[in-house]
Amino acid sequence: MKLSISRYNPECDTSPYLQDYEIELSPGDHMLLDVLIRLKAQDNTLTLRKSCREGVCGSDAMNINGRNGLACITPVRDLREPVVLRPLPSFPIIRDLVVDMTHFFKQYQSVSPYLINEEVTPEKERLQSPEDRERLNGAYECILCACCSSQCPSFWWNPDKFVGPAGLIQAYRFIFDSRDRATPQRLDNLNDAYRLFRCRTIMNCSEVCPKGLEPSHAIEMIRLKMLNIDTPRGLLVQSSAGIKKRELK
Amino acid sequence: MKCQFTGLVAWRVQRISAIYMLLFFLYMLSALWLHPWPTYVEWRGWVRRPSISVAILIFFAALLSHMWVGLRDVLLDYARPESLRWFLLAVLGTSLFGAAAWIVWLLLQVQK
Repeated sequence: MKLSISRYNPECDTSPYLQDYEIELSPGDHMLLDVLIRLKAQDNTLTLRKSCREGVCGSDAMNINGRNGLACITPVRDLREPVVLRPLPSFPIIRDLVVDMTHFFKQYQSVSPYLINEEVTPEKERLQSPEDRERLNGAYECILCACCSSQCPSFWWNPDKFVGPAGLIQAYRFIFDSRDRATPQRLDNLNDAYRLFRCRTIMNCSEVCPKGLEPSHAIEMIRLKMLNIDTPRGLLVQSSAGIKKRELK
Repeated sequence: MKCQFTGLVAWRVQRISAIYMLLFFLYMLSALWLHPWPTYVEWRGWVRRPSISVAILIFFAALLSHMWVGLRDVLLDYARPESLRWFLLAVLGTSLFGAAAWIVWLLLQVQK
């Protein structure tokens, strides 16, 4: 398999460059990450993040043939050669495929991604009806891999001001949580020229989400909530075939 | 909720103004088709009708506010140095305000 991988060592390179590799596929090379791990065994200067190897941690997000995705769940057989691998677009590069995600996590933190409820803590737990719980479907699954925000032109222009699709789907997750009591403050926090309304509905986020989530739908739902238009159902999710469907009970 | 002309307010203004302009445009087309005014005097008589004058005034208010939100968005995205952005926003605001004053003056002239 032929690969062309972006390399950058801040100690000796002035700018990133593409380095070509060729590796014989073995029977165990099902996913792109399998190939990269074997490649790293041959060239231990190649730097990338990885952890769970099954699409849960989001560590190995990268730009694969021009499209953001997770190397660990990208089948090798689907890739056009040479496979061009670059770090997530627009994020500052630390080294090779590893990027600095400071802005991304600052924006995530800015939406207060935790329940805010000052009421007396119940003896066991805060209960939720199945219908209320269903509204969180399509949002709680986000693994914060940053594929969406890194592919969003609005986030490219204003990473310090626009929350970005990943942060906004987390905002949705708490705005629509029946146990949360800070909805007005959360909506007010998003109501300026940048934080929510920089979204121009380009929908790259929904296109590339490796978990099949729809951040653009979450953003639309937040706008409707600001207009006091309540919608009873949860978010859209994508089936494995890429066809949009609503997650059912 | 904040009350500035930004965020949700700007977003809503952009959509409501677009709907109004579309409806006004369709109305104008149908009015021109049903009653083509061959002379300036006839056209002026039509524009001087209070309901039409108000509708035209609202149209231009919608057009200018729609322009403000749309062009402001472009400047927020692409005018990177902060000082250049504020300068261009000031130029845009002044231009649109001038255009609004000119339109009001024109409509008042037609009323005479």
